[in-house]
Amino acid sequence: MKKIPRMIAAAMALVLLLSLAGCGSADGKTHLTFQIWDVAQRDGMDAMCKAYTAQHPDVEIEVQVTSWSEYWTKLEAAAESNTMPDIFWMHTDQILYYADFGMLADLTDLYDGVEANYYQNHYSDISIGNASGTDGKVYGVPKDKDNIVLVYNKEMFDAAGVAYPDENWTWDDLMDASQKIYDATGKYGYMAYNDEQIGYWNFVYQNGGYILDPETNLHAGYTQPATAEAIEYYVNIQKNEWCPDQTYFAETSPGTAFFSEICSMFFEGSWNLLNEMKSYPGMVGKWDVAMLPKCPNPASGDGRGTISNGLCYSTAARGKNLEAVKDVLRFFGSEEGQRIQGESGAAIPAYQGLEDTWSTKFHDYSYMLDLDQIYSQFDHAVQYINNASRRKWKSNAADEMVKIYSGDQSIETGLAKMQALADAYDK
Amino acid sequence: MNKPKLSVAERREENWGWIMVAPTIIGLCILNLWPFVQTIYASFCEHLGFGHYQFIGIQNYIDMFGNREFWKATWNTVWFCILTVPVGIILALFIAIMLNAKVKFKGGFRTIFFLPLVCAPAAVAMVWRWIFNGEYGILNQLLGANIQWITNSKTAVLAIAIVSVWSSVGYDAVLLLAGLQNIPKTLYEANSIDGAGKVRQFFTITLPMVSPTLFSVLIMRLMASLKVYDLIYMMADETNPALTDMQSLMYLFYRSSFVAGDRGYGSAIVVWTVFVILLVTLIQFWGQKKWVTYDI
Amino acid sequence: MKDSLHRSYMMTKFVTYFFLILGSIIMIFPFLWMIFTSFKTVPESMQIPATILPAQIMWDNFRDAMDSLPFDRLYLNTALMVFFRVICAIFFSSMAGYAFAKLKFRFKNLLFGIVLVQMSLPSQIFIIPQYQMVAKMGMANTIFALVFPGLVSAFGVFFLRQTYLSIPDEVGEAAYLDGCNQWVTFYKIMFPLTGTSVAALTIFTAVFAYGDLMWPLVVNSDLKMMTLSSGLSTLKGQFTTNFPVLMSGSLLAMLPMVVLYLIFQRQFVEGIAGTGGK
Repeated sequence: MKKIPRMIAAAMALVLLLSLAGCGSADGKTHLTFQIWDVAQRDGMDAMCKAYTAQHPDVEIEVQVTSWSEYWTKLEAAAESNTMPDIFWMHTDQILYYADFGMLADLTDLYDGVEANYYQNHYSDISIGNASGTDGKVYGVPKDKDNIVLVYNKEMFDAAGVAYPDENWTWDDLMDASQKIYDATGKYGYMAYNDEQIGYWNFVYQNGGYILDPETNLHAGYTQPATAEAIEYYVNIQKNEWCPDQTYFAETSPGTAFFSEICSMFFEGSWNLLNEMKSYPGMVGKWDVAMLPKCPNPASGDGRGTISNGLCYSTAARGKNLEAVKDVLRFFGSEEGQRIQGESGAAIPAYQGLEDTWSTKFHDYSYMLDLDQIYSQFDHAVQYINNASRRKWKSNAADEMVKIYSGDQSIETGLAKMQALADAYDK
Repeated sequence: MNKPKLSVAERREENWGWIMVAPTIIGLCILNLWPFVQTIYASFCEHLGFGHYQFIGIQNYIDMFGNREFWKATWNTVWFCILTVPVGIILALFIAIMLNAKVKFKGGFRTIFFLPLVCAPAAVAMVWRWIFNGEYGILNQLLGANIQWITNSKTAVLAIAIVSVWSSVGYDAVLLLAGLQNIPKTLYEANSIDGAGKVRQFFTITLPMVSPTLFSVLIMRLMASLKVYDLIYMMADETNPALTDMQSLMYLFYRSSFVAGDRGYGSAIVVWTVFVILLVTLIQFWGQKKWVTYDI
Repeated sequence: MKDSLHRSYMMTKFVTYFFLILGSIIMIFPFLWMIFTSFKTVPESMQIPATILPAQIMWDNFRDAMDSLPFDRLYLNTALMVFFRVICAIFFSSMAGYAFAKLKFRFKNLLFGIVLVQMSLPSQIFIIPQYQMVAKMGMANTIFALVFPGLVSAFGVFFLRQTYLSIPDEVGEAAYLDGCNQWVTFYKIMFPLTGTSVAALTIFTAVFAYGDLMWPLVVNSDLKMMTLSSGLSTLKGQFTTNFPVLMSGSLLAMLPMVVLYLIFQRQFVEGIAGTGGK
């Protein structure tokens, strides 16, 4: 029994050793950490960092991936204890919370020595908007941009004798095609599942409605007639025999159903496409993408619209390596950095004119998706919806949406409640 | 300090007592108790962001007790306990007794019953989610039914409870089996000479002898069930229509504090949960005097 | 008379076997289903009526899962985390459990109260404060960070206290009168008597650590420093409801534990069951 204390002492020593091994080595280099949430983009981010460190051998950048929900728990905890990673991705849902609280470094002047009005010259207003705080200052270097597309199964369209979706398609065509495909093949049509960005937001803006009023970006518009009409239209799609109801989607994602050849169409974020080419090799060539069908008779506007979001690279306001980090960020936002991101297939570069570098990786497959549909859709892009108070009411509003879908409340009651939730924070 | 002076031996015993509990107590205070004290304080505050709090008195509690969703979550938690604790423990005892009896292939049966122990809960949740799937799940196809196990408000808690019992019953059975095997065989031999039946033997010898273990298992299972969170997190998505009908108190806490960022309100939910757990535990400790037998 | 006794004996046998077999089927079915699903293609897995056995063996699912997660590192990290948490739990909890059960000291009830209170606290509330402690120490992304919340175990104290309570006081007193001090009495006489419970605590701690999901996800962002459970959860983020790949990943995650268990299951059960009838 005498062995036990000795064994434990040895074990403790080992713990200590292992933990010390985690504290970077003293090689005189500047070690930076770079936190992201999408494992599919890890290689792209690595490639970008390698390109930078090749020019700056005194810097080392380590890319770390944390999954989406833990990412924010962790980043907030880190912000509180001033232990944020050196560089991290920022999402539109969160940037105002962090920026308005003074957690992010102001990057408005980042390119002052390089080019006047650098952001405005090379990035769209939407990209800059997604990277700005409520005060209008830039708190992140724009990273990428995306939008929502219609994904469809060509074989099912052929079997039902329906022409493939084109730029003239309207909501009516979407419904018709769904019905015809269901009648001819027994497969589901368009999968209208409960989602904001990939779901009803698109319909709302196509119909000329709004979630937050475009003028001030302050007041919610859930009860505004055009908005309510579009949401009602969208929710009621599940009443068709060719669309499963929400209980189905809570267990089976539309993507899984689509790539199992159970349904013919669904909306997808452009950021998922490359991964889907990779994950479902048997499906390559059987499907393609098209721009979103437009609203046939909008309350206002031309009936077009697709929600476009974009991430940015941010750094902590009180970071220890601020100057070194700023230089890296400058590179990430340069044409070269953005090109590497695009060519690695990570995401569509936010840098204007480099969109189609993203097509590079798609050429590895035997069938080329019609990616021009996505690029040309940026002309109708609607900036991802967000303001400073949305963070506080959005999860409650989403709950009300769930209750609408489950039939616990009428659409009208639900929307009135969502409006009230948002109005409570409207100052 | 005008207590009677301790003898040298008593003082030495006291010092040893303190030394031996010190690492645990210090650790618990830093790792657990201090965060809990902060949670209590936060429950009287509004979270302004990034750990900055503003004192607002009992407003969070007023909001909480006036919220239907909160009471629903409390009921869901209690209902989950009712479904898992008695059934789980009785099943575990039953299995332990059968495995303690003279049966063939005992090793094989033990291996199978304890197998869920060595599975990562994340994996367990995934496979059950797939089995329960309303559209493509094997369970509905076997039963010839069309039950939306996880997305229907009436069955969601039941489904979670089944998974919970399935994955914990083996563990509880292991503990109880240990308790059973510690019962001296001579007790049974003496008793069978008396001509007592199997059933009476169970109530006069087995149950009292295994009662301390049973008590530990009960406390452990109750606390775990009142704190249930992981299983729901892994088996239900945010868009699940039955979410409000299945979410437990700790899941509601997670959504308030971590998703919505309302940490003051979330803290009030935690304080309430801990209150309920302590209440139930105290009742158990008081009740154990009636049925738990120590040191025969 | 003898015949009826025999019949009731047979009845008992029959009922016992019936329930054991039924129970076994229920316990093993999810595993079989996991194995079958892991070899199916996604469309086949969603076929109605379901096929029981896969039409063809799809190793691709396993390849996808292995491409997404560094399984060798996950095995190692999990093993290290479990090992250190078990050592800490046994060492500190045995000491404290013994002291709470057998020694007299002031504030004993108050201090034991802390243990009970901790057991009733939900672990989710510790995640942010504990993460901040680890981050301040500069220990994020290490094995130490994984072990950190398990340095002390309130449950272990509670459980071992129950065990020490069941050992008659005379055992310790005899040793004490022989001139051993409290420490020697504890680790030479009392501790060896608790083998069964220590084995049970080992398994409990290991199972709990193995299943811990949130903590590793938050404290270690590098996939190379993840544990099996948290790694699986990232797989779910990537493949959403692609169940064949998820099942393959789950199987790979469970494989070492199951193999270890099958090899050592005799020792495992007997370790728990101790020496049997005294």
